[in-house]
Amino acid sequence: WRTILLRIGDKCPEYNGNSDSKEHIETCYGVLRRELEHYPFLLQCAEQLPHKIPLYGTVVGLLNLENEEFVKKVVENCQNNLQGALNCNRIRILMRFLTVMMCSKVIQPGPLVVVFETLLSSAATTVDEEKGNPSWQACADFYITCILSCLPWGGAELVEQVPEEIERVMVGVEAYLSIRFEDDDKDFLEDLWGRIQVLSSNGWKLDSVPRPHLSFEAQLVAGKSHPLSCPELPCGKQKHDAELKYPQRIRRLNIFPANKIELQPIDRFIAEEYLLDVLFFFNGCRKECASYMVGLPVPFRYEYLMAETIFSQLLLLPQPPFKPMYYTLVIIDLCKALPGAFPAVVAGAVRALFEKIADLDMECRTRLILWFSHHLSNFQFIWPWEEWAYVLDLPKWAPQRVFVQEVLEREVRLSYWDKVKQSIENAPTLEELLPPKGGPSFKYEDGKELSMELSSMVKGRQVSREVISWIEESVIPVHGALSVVVQTLLDIGSKSFTHLITVLERYGQVIAKLCHDQDKQVVLIDEVSSYWKNSAQMTAIAIDRMMGYRLISNFAIVKWVFSSENIEQFHTSDHPWEILRNAVSKTYNRISDLRKEISSLKKSLALAETRKAELEAAESKLTLVDGEPVLGENPGRLKRLKSYAEKAKEEEVSVRDSLEAKEALLARALDENEALFLSLYKNFSNVLMERLPDTSMDVDNENSQTNGYNVGEKEQWCLSILGYVKAFSRQYASEIWLHIEKLDAEVLHPLFRKA
Amino acid sequence: MALLFKDPSKLSAYRDKRFPGTQEDFEHALLTSMTVYIGNMSFYTTEEQVYELFSRAGEIKKIIMGLDKNSKTPCGFCFVLYYSRDDAEDAVKYISGTVLDDRPIRVDFDWGFQEGRQWGRGRSGGQVRDEYRTDYDPDILLNV
Repeated sequence: WRTILLRIGDKCPEYNGNSDSKEHIETCYGVLRRELEHYPFLLQCAEQLPHKIPLYGTVVGLLNLENEEFVKKVVENCQNNLQGALNCNRIRILMRFLTVMMCSKVIQPGPLVVVFETLLSSAATTVDEEKGNPSWQACADFYITCILSCLPWGGAELVEQVPEEIERVMVGVEAYLSIRFEDDDKDFLEDLWGRIQVLSSNGWKLDSVPRPHLSFEAQLVAGKSHPLSCPELPCGKQKHDAELKYPQRIRRLNIFPANKIELQPIDRFIAEEYLLDVLFFFNGCRKECASYMVGLPVPFRYEYLMAETIFSQLLLLPQPPFKPMYYTLVIIDLCKALPGAFPAVVAGAVRALFEKIADLDMECRTRLILWFSHHLSNFQFIWPWEEWAYVLDLPKWAPQRVFVQEVLEREVRLSYWDKVKQSIENAPTLEELLPPKGGPSFKYEDGKELSMELSSMVKGRQVSREVISWIEESVIPVHGALSVVVQTLLDIGSKSFTHLITVLERYGQVIAKLCHDQDKQVVLIDEVSSYWKNSAQMTAIAIDRMMGYRLISNFAIVKWVFSSENIEQFHTSDHPWEILRNAVSKTYNRISDLRKEISSLKKSLALAETRKAELEAAESKLTLVDGEPVLGENPGRLKRLKSYAEKAKEEEVSVRDSLEAKEALLARALDENEALFLSLYKNFSNVLMERLPDTSMDVDNENSQTNGYNVGEKEQWCLSILGYVKAFSRQYASEIWLHIEKLDAEVLHPLFRKA
Repeated sequence: MALLFKDPSKLSAYRDKRFPGTQEDFEHALLTSMTVYIGNMSFYTTEEQVYELFSRAGEIKKIIMGLDKNSKTPCGFCFVLYYSRDDAEDAVKYISGTVLDDRPIRVDFDWGFQEGRQWGRGRSGGQVRDEYRTDYDPDILLNV
């Protein structure tokens, strides 16, 4: 029975390989009427396979004819879930289920409309200036979205059966839209409202929502309908906490020209809902995810829409719901599932995005670079590079050229230089954009004495202490020592990532001794960058690991990134940005890890308290033993509780110590974070101040040289930097807001505040 | 999320015979582990390639290449340690079955790296699986 429920609507053995929905419903109904206790599972299916709700709803309608008690429980369950649902997806989907059950006569349309009205009035109150709080608009918008989202599933029935009531709701929605604050031109809610209106004027006819209940209408009409009471909506503080949980679901990306996706507006909305729900509920289940993505219950083709939807998630700002890798995987799976259609669509999307890459947000560009290189690595790096060979005629700072360059860089990292060279053989000129082929650049290759001495000490497994004394005793100017030592150690650790971290682990102290202040650390990074000048990857890794071992501070990294050499590369390469991203990300991860640890330590302490309390309660309880009142719970349970409590107490001391230590570490980390952002914004501000005034003048002069890309070098440089300021600010917004006062006071320029 | 079709806590059927402990301990180790095992790699895949791919799932703590016991050269597997369990889970979810260095690799949770586990246990010094491995890199055969 489980599989029958799960697989309704699918072409599968359980349903004899056919896909007639009427038969499916009858079969499912036939099985379920004998196994009625399984209604919680039914509800679970409806919640996680929302595109099948019309089928489930009809089944429930038929069951209603036979066993009203059962269906009553289903409705109650649904209602309870709705009441307790603090999760947007659940609310939206459960309401859809209720709407469909209304279609199957399981509930009356009247009560359903009352639910709509309650949501509507709550939304209106929220946005009303006196009683509500405009910052809760996300919540209010969501309620309205919920109402509108239900209409495709039951609009026709509602208009037929309760025309006045539903008209009131529509008027109410229109009124809400007029008083709320509009985001920008692509306002999701306004757009959805527009689609619903079009649907309404089409007599509520649409392709993308199956209506299986119509085949059973004659029978369903006899069913008894069950009551539905309206859920209580959160208010006050609850609302505020809930605010954070109403993120925008989709920011539509219009990659393809409109004629590729010719659908009724409402059908597009619904197909997107289906796709997003599958992506959400089938994360972790590759096979089913791909199979449901391609097998939606709609009569039209939607490969272009599917591509646009997935890319819109991949490029969603500030963060996609899942790691970008997820969408990479989905795209790969879909290319394999639809080899005749989907790969071409993806290629089309890439071309379209490439065309408009200069308009894309910096972070989106980075995501695209990482996605594309990873994607191609799964398909033997096959791509018609000759189509893009023209980027060589563009200036070095042209975004398209930089994009190609960075994709090739990442491809080399995922495979190897010769392979990537071979993959661009149809566009051999692009070789110019490949990263350098060579390996390390050891300054002391021909064996400067000191370097060789150090080398043999390391091979002889001498410990840091000894090496440090050796350095101090030898007569070397300190500056020189740094270079020799660092380069030699890097050379010893150059064979692989593991070699590097082994050297850092064993001889980190030596480096630390030599680079105790920030300026020395910057010199250190210079040495690293020089040694690994032919490998951006190893440069980034070495710097990242040194920061991990606290040999260099994130401060020093920022300083280095903003040094004059690197500044010149800001608009032509991703390398300095990669290093900056790593440093900020690591700082943030440290904080995030500490917070998690502190939270779990606090939980342990709370648990210890509970155990103690339980024990006390048990000890002082009066129980009957052989009819006589005795103090204390039964001995078995008492013994168990005692041992839990004792164990908890033992651990308590060490837990408290850990907690104290972690909290101190967290405080330090937060300070570092604040200092980091201060430094970051200060640096951004300084470099921009220097150059912005000149820039506007140059735009006209540069025009003659650049064919295809008209933006002058200086202007592009500024654009790139501003783009990154925006990206960093957005990604770490919550951390930045914590320190906003200090930042405001010291560094924030109006341009930044806008970001 | 996708609880209906697959139990996400259901673990791979592979059971390491050298694990010191009960089945329950083993399962607990797998459920909390931040180490992933990667198999079916090319013998030529470098740590840097592993780093580039796997760091997209999260910050990597360590990489340990699996080595042939006799020749001490890579023999097709490795371990990656993450700092966070979530990252390890994402690596298993999103990378297993995809391509690294032209081969489809397998990514699974590992019960925890210990010294000694980096050596292949097959008779010839490579992995046990290699006794059955049919898709060798083309030039490997030239060296044998």
